[in-house]
Amino acid sequence: MNVTLAEDKKFLKELNAGTSALVLLGVVGSAPEPMYGYQIAKLIDTGSEDVPMMKQGALYPVLRSLEKSGLLESTVEPSVTGPPRRYYRITEKGRAAIDRWSDLWDRTKSVVDSVLKGKRHDQSDR
Amino acid sequence: MTKAIDDYLKKLKAALSGADPATIQDALSDAEEHLTTALAQALEREPGAAAEAEIAKIIDTYGAPEEVAAAYKEMETMTPVTLSLSGSAVARPRQHRFFGVLGDIHTYAALLYMLLSLATGIFYFTWAVTGLSLSAGLMLLVIGIPFMTAFLLSARGIALIEGRIIEGVLGERMPRRPVFFRRDLGWWGGVKALFADRTTWSAIAYMVLQLPLGIIYFTITTTLIAVSLGLIAEPILTYFFDQPVIQTGSYSYYMPVWAMPFSVAGGFLLLVVTLHVARGLGRLHARYAKRLLVKTEK
Repeated sequence: MNVTLAEDKKFLKELNAGTSALVLLGVVGSAPEPMYGYQIAKLIDTGSEDVPMMKQGALYPVLRSLEKSGLLESTVEPSVTGPPRRYYRITEKGRAAIDRWSDLWDRTKSVVDSVLKGKRHDQSDR
Repeated sequence: MTKAIDDYLKKLKAALSGADPATIQDALSDAEEHLTTALAQALEREPGAAAEAEIAKIIDTYGAPEEVAAAYKEMETMTPVTLSLSGSAVARPRQHRFFGVLGDIHTYAALLYMLLSLATGIFYFTWAVTGLSLSAGLMLLVIGIPFMTAFLLSARGIALIEGRIIEGVLGERMPRRPVFFRRDLGWWGGVKALFADRTTWSAIAYMVLQLPLGIIYFTITTTLIAVSLGLIAEPILTYFFDQPVIQTGSYSYYMPVWAMPFSVAGGFLLLVVTLHVARGLGRLHARYAKRLLVKTEK
């Protein structure tokens, strides 16, 4: 049981390594105004049901790397409750990346789907 | 209540040991921002809830320090898109690499920093010396301590701005956020921590040292550029403007004709060497700045 869980965890981590950038771009891109990290994390948590997509702490380095590549930009604003917050907003380059990446995602998804359906087909034959 | 957050930050710092100091500073700021915001909002939703239990839940969804540290380290190993050009230089032959600096934007950025450092050096030096001497003078009066606190805070601010300039121009990774102060220390504790922090004083030392360094950088680069441009322009200066190489009293020394091609070639070579010198100095300066401006934990 534990072995399966560890395997699941590893698989999920590898899966998320690629998709988290697209998800974060999508979330920030469709937001009407700049968002800070905690808002983004909460939005993603409500989107994914019982299995959280990734640890919230792992979102921040992805946000930073997206900013470094010029797909997002950010501003720091003081907050009443605690330390200053970093607000992220999408750039033109980021919007273009969403278009290209969602095409790639669709292609990957259909390949995975067709392979998985094929496998189920094999099993029902036996 | 914030003790749990501080504990978490300490563990995260320990898990990040060995990573780039600037990454550590960023990771700690991110975690602190997230955890305090999450806790504040959780308590707002359920005012009666036990803070201890809430913070444990929040930390669980944020991720264990080791996991979060691993995520930051992974990001750090990826080559940033904007700087990936410089990575391709490795495979090229020697002479391409030597003259390659001419086409590399980073070279001119380093050159710009060398020239800029005189201006920033004058400003930093003046600011630091004025701040320190006014602080010492006013220490006899009531406003002495508040004045010095404001001055030390301004030094930390300048350290952050200088770090942003260095990352932008020289490409060395520097902090993007101010160093966080522990809130549980309170107002007076925060002031004491500011005075006791090694980084505050090394930032002031950096500001003072920036003037002599700026003078050296500026002099070296302008002299080398002037000499190489002079050597390149020697034929034009001689034959079109009748300018001798050296003139003392009524004696004029002209460069012989056979030496002209060597002068032009030598000037061009010196120009390329100058660009290499600027890059090298830039790299050294960036490393030195990191030592003085970025908080490192033992």
